Amino acid sequence: MAEGRYVYCIVEGAQKAQLGNIGIDGSRVYTIHYKDISAVVHNSPAKPYESKDNEVVKNWVITHEKVIEKAWEKLGTVLPFGFDTIIKADEEKDQKDPEKIVKYWLEEDYQSLKEKLDKVKGKAEYGVQVSWDTKVISHMLTEKDEDLKKLSEEIKSKPRGAAYMYKQKLEKLLRGRLEREAERYFKDFYGRIREYADEIRMEKLKKDEEPRQMLMNVSCLADKEDVKVLGVELDKINNIEGFFVRFTGPWPPYSFV
Amino acid sequence: MPIDINEDNLKHGLLGLVIAIVEVIRDALKHQALRRMEGGSLTDEEVERLGRALEEIDIAIDQMKEEQGVTDTVKQVRDGLDDLVDDVLDQILNPERWKEAEEEKAI
Repeated sequence: MAEGRYVYCIVEGAQKAQLGNIGIDGSRVYTIHYKDISAVVHNSPAKPYESKDNEVVKNWVITHEKVIEKAWEKLGTVLPFGFDTIIKADEEKDQKDPEKIVKYWLEEDYQSLKEKLDKVKGKAEYGVQVSWDTKVISHMLTEKDEDLKKLSEEIKSKPRGAAYMYKQKLEKLLRGRLEREAERYFKDFYGRIREYADEIRMEKLKKDEEPRQMLMNVSCLADKEDVKVLGVELDKINNIEGFFVRFTGPWPPYSFV
Repeated sequence: MPIDINEDNLKHGLLGLVIAIVEVIRDALKHQALRRMEGGSLTDEEVERLGRALEEIDIAIDQMKEEQGVTDTVKQVRDGLDDLVDDVLDQILNPERWKEAEEEKAI
């Protein structure tokens, strides 16, 4: 069968590195370089990895990410590639040596790969998720908002059925207030994070455990030095009553290539 | 992906789905009732009756979920519906993002 090269990522530098048998299915991972950039690869068949078993695929993806992390740790700046990127021999160009094809591809895309590497140089990806406790915040809002306070007092004096209806009314009002507050906090936090991150990508909000609710889910590309200040800023947010910050990383810059 | 169906989990899932739909209808009713109350077209007595009726529906639904052990299933169905609606709204509000995702898939 035709041979190919499975590509994990691109790294800076022309070093001939051996990363050991850490690749998918225990394959040997090494680098192929062109000028001062290298592809981290293993020798693979010229067809994608496929399996009907989700567990198997999951393990492959995990291995893929582990190799990228290893390369990142040992070789510095990386441009991670998605799972199952395979470069194969090109019959038309009459080029049957996959090694040469990788070099050829690096040469062709040299300029754009180099630019992308420069963009993420010395930087890492961090995940920031901010949640709030809707119970705590609702309570605080009711305390300081006259309308809400009045309404919740009124409920106490109503007969059962009417009290139920007024409770619905209170909840609706409260939802509106919460939304407004959420927007206000989001803008504030976003602005504060923006100062310490080179780039921010919005991610989809996930369900948090009740009564917690996620307000913000972003990936940031930040300088490994600047990130300490970002940490301090996030600590401040975490210390606001009813708010929780989850800060993860550093990761290879998966979301920014 | 194969779906594992036996009599038990079929009953469980179906009941969860039915109750989730009943809850959605209940929420719509509540919403309407509230609008009429706020619009001022209801007498105090009507508000009281409406409130009691809705409260009883709440109690009945909660009891049923508890007895049949489908509280989690109902929540899953409703969360699933929420996600679906979120996606649809997001497609309308942020068409660029979806276009990007489509293009990525095409590659």
